[in-house]
Amino acid sequence: MSRIRIPIGPQHPLLKEPLSFLLTLEGEQVVQSDLRIGYVHRGIERLSQTRSYIQNVHLFERVCGICSHVHTTTFCMGVEALSGLSVPLRGLYLRTFLCELERIHSHLLWLGVLSKNMGFDTIFMYAWRDREVVMDLMEELSGGRVSHAANVIGGVRVDINDAQRLTMTQNLNTLSKKITSLRNIIDHEQSFHARTRGVGILTEEQIRQYCIVGPIARASNIDVDLRRDVPYGIYDKLTFSVIARSEGDVWSRTMLRIQETQESINLCLQILDSLPPGPVAVPAKRRVPPGEVICRTEAPRGELFYYIRSDGSDHPARVKIRTPSLTALAILPDQLKSINMADVSAIVSGVDLCIACADR
Amino acid sequence: MTKIHSWIYLFPKIWETLFETPITGRYPFEPLHLPTGFRGKVVMQAELCVGGGLCVRDCPSFALKIDRFGKQQFRITYDPLCCAYCGQCEISCHRGAIQLTNEFHPATSHYQNLLKILVERNLPENQENSSS
Amino acid sequence: MDWIIAIFKLLIFPGFGFLFACAIFSEWFDRRLIARFQGRIGPPIFQPLADFLKLLGKEDLLPTGVNEKTMAALPIISMAACLTAAMYIPVAGTSAFAFEGDLIVVLFLLSLPSLLYFLAGWSSIGAYSIVGGNRALLQFFSYEVPFLMALSGPAILSRSWTISEIVVQQTVTVWGILVQPVGFLLAMIGLIGKLKRDPLDIPKAKSETVAGPLTEFSGRKLAIWHLANQIQTVTGIFLLVNVFLGGGVLNQLLPTTFLFFFLALLILIILSLTSAMYARLRIDQFARLGWKRLIPLSLLQITFIVWMGRG
Repeated sequence: MSRIRIPIGPQHPLLKEPLSFLLTLEGEQVVQSDLRIGYVHRGIERLSQTRSYIQNVHLFERVCGICSHVHTTTFCMGVEALSGLSVPLRGLYLRTFLCELERIHSHLLWLGVLSKNMGFDTIFMYAWRDREVVMDLMEELSGGRVSHAANVIGGVRVDINDAQRLTMTQNLNTLSKKITSLRNIIDHEQSFHARTRGVGILTEEQIRQYCIVGPIARASNIDVDLRRDVPYGIYDKLTFSVIARSEGDVWSRTMLRIQETQESINLCLQILDSLPPGPVAVPAKRRVPPGEVICRTEAPRGELFYYIRSDGSDHPARVKIRTPSLTALAILPDQLKSINMADVSAIVSGVDLCIACADR
Repeated sequence: MTKIHSWIYLFPKIWETLFETPITGRYPFEPLHLPTGFRGKVVMQAELCVGGGLCVRDCPSFALKIDRFGKQQFRITYDPLCCAYCGQCEISCHRGAIQLTNEFHPATSHYQNLLKILVERNLPENQENSSS
Repeated sequence: MDWIIAIFKLLIFPGFGFLFACAIFSEWFDRRLIARFQGRIGPPIFQPLADFLKLLGKEDLLPTGVNEKTMAALPIISMAACLTAAMYIPVAGTSAFAFEGDLIVVLFLLSLPSLLYFLAGWSSIGAYSIVGGNRALLQFFSYEVPFLMALSGPAILSRSWTISEIVVQQTVTVWGILVQPVGFLLAMIGLIGKLKRDPLDIPKAKSETVAGPLTEFSGRKLAIWHLANQIQTVTGIFLLVNVFLGGGVLNQLLPTTFLFFFLALLILIILSLTSAMYARLRIDQFARLGWKRLIPLSLLQITFIVWMGRG
């Protein structure tokens, strides 16, 4: 049979962000795939050298839209470690609250996109409708749905009062019930099973070879979560469980992310319950003492890694970011061999790529 | 677990969604609810400004510019197209002179209409015509 | 005088004008209902008409190397087939031109658009279109056989291949759906496959092949394809109402009209509900479903009917 080359090109209804695959098809079987990235490269690491630390907090928020708060959290953690600042407890609680809210909204977004690419528009609409609850919470807290600008070096700049706390707790409880009902629907939906079970299986050895992190690794029996293993912020004061599954296909990644969403809602409720009084930020100096620091946090897609080197002025000398989507991209051409063409959309959506993060 | 059909969960949810208010709204014809901390266009209370320049120094997208012509003689301009609506100027100003409002309709067909002079103080004679 | 009446029947009722209005209404109703199922508002009543007029005014481009006459003729033949098939289907008890054995002609005409869909994919030589066209042909083989067999059940029961005769027979005995519910189910699945709606919109799956066989069409050709699909929807629904639900025929004209349109709306609601409820199948899964489950079921149904008609 003759071979056809199909571009899942930079613009395609399947992709949220530009990425280019060139699939070689024989009939309905994919024989080979080539990958190109770099369409959204903006040179953020170089731009950060021309701006001061205060300006860089806002620059790093725009690396990715979905996980914007985690980027600024990691950067601020690094700069605070270099400057020897210690953020007050209330500031740390509020920072973690926004981090967990972001995890919920990112997983709900991904669930909707996966369902839409499976053809199941109803779950897409329901998941994004429930995501609106989280977006409204974030907007009430920080003034923006996507770009929160909540972090400053030395703490946060937002605060909540008691009335807001009560409304937020109620909204989060309602959200928890809605996610349970979404989970029930997906659990029993036969056509969803048929499209995602046994598709895109990654073994433990493949994951270790490619150094993949995040929910993809946890779905293949590798139990790694930075919030529990290397606790930063106040995660050592909160109780939560890390979910790991062993099937390694798109189905287990789906169920894993839904369970993680429910854990995050519990974490948010714990934070709201035990919010200590006090200031939310300490004043920070403009010049950071020379040194270098590495800080890691658990973004919704995996481990986020920042390396910051400062030379004593108010501009950083070098900032290096390694985002979790970059590791997941490496294995994608291998995964897309000898599969059905219809499984391409399941696998590419199931990996939850954030190309803006990966290209920076 | 997969023996039960998903209908028993999906049907009630579809029925219930049919009678709830929809999540989408008819935007220009319905009022929009903005939260208290909404970050919209920048305005300056000119009488409070002393020309410290902290807002200009800390703006990440270089939307604020200051032209100095001597002691206590300056002009600050603002470009809403470059602005990232981050609120850093509001945090940096020691006097609380610059603020972000609730206005979010900056669209216009002429770029010249957008550039705004926020404050002018004691300009020398040859700079009276401001051409932004 | 006859030719004036004939032209009226062709162009106004139940011809092009009536079918155009029904197509616009059915698309609006379908989109609005699915939107309400999903918690959104949905488009206003004039939206499908506005889409059609907008598409008519857009630029009509074709890639280099395709046969322009073929590409221009395919949507027109597709629409002509659907409109001709609608001439023989009774609307509220009266059909425009009925003759002996017109069920077979209608079924043949209604299967033409799917084949032309595949041809459209084959002629526009882009990669997306060829893959979509292959899938369209594979899907055609999987749903067409159960559909034809399910629709021949009522014909065997009524001992006639004329749709008007089938309707009359159902007023004398019982409605077809009560005697052969499995046949109705198969006919609905076949209709969903024929109209390429969710969950069987595999050829034009947006997330895999960008628009399937119709990727390279734009402007007037796309407008006519879209209108042909909508008219096929309306024609298919009317066919099912006549063959399985007795055509809504009661004693007088006014209740018949109401019942006919009410039953057609009911079938449209069921189609929208199945659109909202399922994820898209893979083409090999659907082929397996069609050949392993649907065809044996239709054979059983036919055996049951023959046995019943005999005894």
